[in-house]
Amino acid sequence: MNPPNPRGTHTSRSKAMNAVVAGITYRALLGRRRIILLLLLPLALIGLALLLRLFGEGDQRSAVLLMQNFAIGTMLPLLGLIAGTGVIAPEIDDGTIIHLMSKPISRPVIARTKFLVAASLLALFAAVPTYVSAWLLVRNEDGIAPGFALGALVAGIAYAAVFLLLGVITRHAVTIGIVYALVWESLVGNLVPGARKFSIQQWAQSIADQISGSPFLRTDVSLGFAVPAIIIVTLGAVLWTGHRLRAFSLTGDE
Amino acid sequence: MSEIYDIGYRHYDGPRLGRGYATRALAVHSLRGVFGLGRTARSKIVPFSLAAIMLLPAIVSIALMALAKQRGIPYSGFAVIMQAVVATFLASQAPTVVAPDLRHRVLPLYLSRPVAVVEYVTAKVAAMTVALFLLVAVPLTLMYAGELLVDLEGPPLTQEYLGAVLMALVLAVLLSAFGLAISSFTPRRGLGVASVIAVYLLSSASVPVVYGTLYSSGNESAAAWAWLANPFWLVDSVQSWLFGTPPHSIESAAYPSGPASLAILVLLIAVGLIALALRYRKAASR
Repeated sequence: MNPPNPRGTHTSRSKAMNAVVAGITYRALLGRRRIILLLLLPLALIGLALLLRLFGEGDQRSAVLLMQNFAIGTMLPLLGLIAGTGVIAPEIDDGTIIHLMSKPISRPVIARTKFLVAASLLALFAAVPTYVSAWLLVRNEDGIAPGFALGALVAGIAYAAVFLLLGVITRHAVTIGIVYALVWESLVGNLVPGARKFSIQQWAQSIADQISGSPFLRTDVSLGFAVPAIIIVTLGAVLWTGHRLRAFSLTGDE
Repeated sequence: MSEIYDIGYRHYDGPRLGRGYATRALAVHSLRGVFGLGRTARSKIVPFSLAAIMLLPAIVSIALMALAKQRGIPYSGFAVIMQAVVATFLASQAPTVVAPDLRHRVLPLYLSRPVAVVEYVTAKVAAMTVALFLLVAVPLTLMYAGELLVDLEGPPLTQEYLGAVLMALVLAVLLSAFGLAISSFTPRRGLGVASVIAVYLLSSASVPVVYGTLYSSGNESAAAWAWLANPFWLVDSVQSWLFGTPPHSIESAAYPSGPASLAILVLLIAVGLIALALRYRKAASR
């Protein structure tokens, strides 16, 4: 009679995620110095909110500006990039992913696990500080704080999926992600109105606008477009990552 | 029955090229690595496309001068206007200069040669500085050459051009000292890229917020100091003091005093270089 497998990996084929893989990934992301990077931006956001509170009037206009420019415009894509690529790219970079790939765990399960880890980290390090900093400025007036927090949460999930896929596709994931976040979403999104429809940040603002009744917040993308777009992008990216991992080939370093 | 064979080992009798030569060779090798020369085609894509993006405004500027007879981007404001591209270049390429040697632990091999820690760090900083300088100075020179050829009304702005090139060099030293120091703290390339860009975005995204808050609450003189938190505006403030160029901050807001900016600039460069030297002293002993 076979002893039961203590880790239960032979049954993981049907599960949504694998707890061991998740634990290893959490440790890789939160251990050592990477956590400094994950903490730096949320702390800067809360610090800026405190500064605005001390010197400014703490009005809705400055709160919405801080949320749009710093929380959604800078912190969220950057954290998405660090967490989304960080769950898998370093392993591919130094070749240790081969140990994970050679285990009898289905590749889509690996992809889903990595995605859930990245999404949970973004909820903790992006959505919670967003709520805290908005609350510091305007409390719960007009639903600005919960609106932007929900927007950051949902957009963070989408960013996690997109950047996870990018980390599997290319070794220059971080650079390409920066170019997408800086050039496409900030520059092109601000200049070309049509490009705004295809920007995760704008979808986050649509969701924030739906909850918040603040007159200082205006968005261009309708909720009817933003919500399906987020769902399609997230699901598509996670499924594609799983598919991509199934036929993954390790190539040598440049 | 044994016999000693002469298998032809010989002493090296040729010239010993010494420390300077080794440092130069390392610098040239690193500079080629920044642009992906001598590496795969895939590692050339990012640096060369960013360099091409830097050239676009210069070409548009020349076209404006030739067709509409008016100036496009001022020389002195070029680096500030293109700062996102320069910062992306720094973030994506600085880790390629330092990360592989750290990751593969080959530093003791380098240091067993005449190259010491100081020479190694100097070569790496020099390579990154030259790369960043070329990134900014080549479009500037192209624009200046265009201005000379188009022959606009009035004398060419030679002084502004030369000042901008000099400040491009200063900016390159500052950025490469800091970029290499930050990215040398991790042997992983991706993490290095993310760290450098995170520090840059922190400085660039928080400056307008801090400035706006202090300005609207009446602390106008304190607000001006906020610009110095971003390296590009810091260098621009020194330039506007040295060469009398208009400030290129958002809405042309005035900078605080010039000598203080210069002192901060020199201090920051020194801090970056010292951090780098200390980091490598530690890495070399492992």
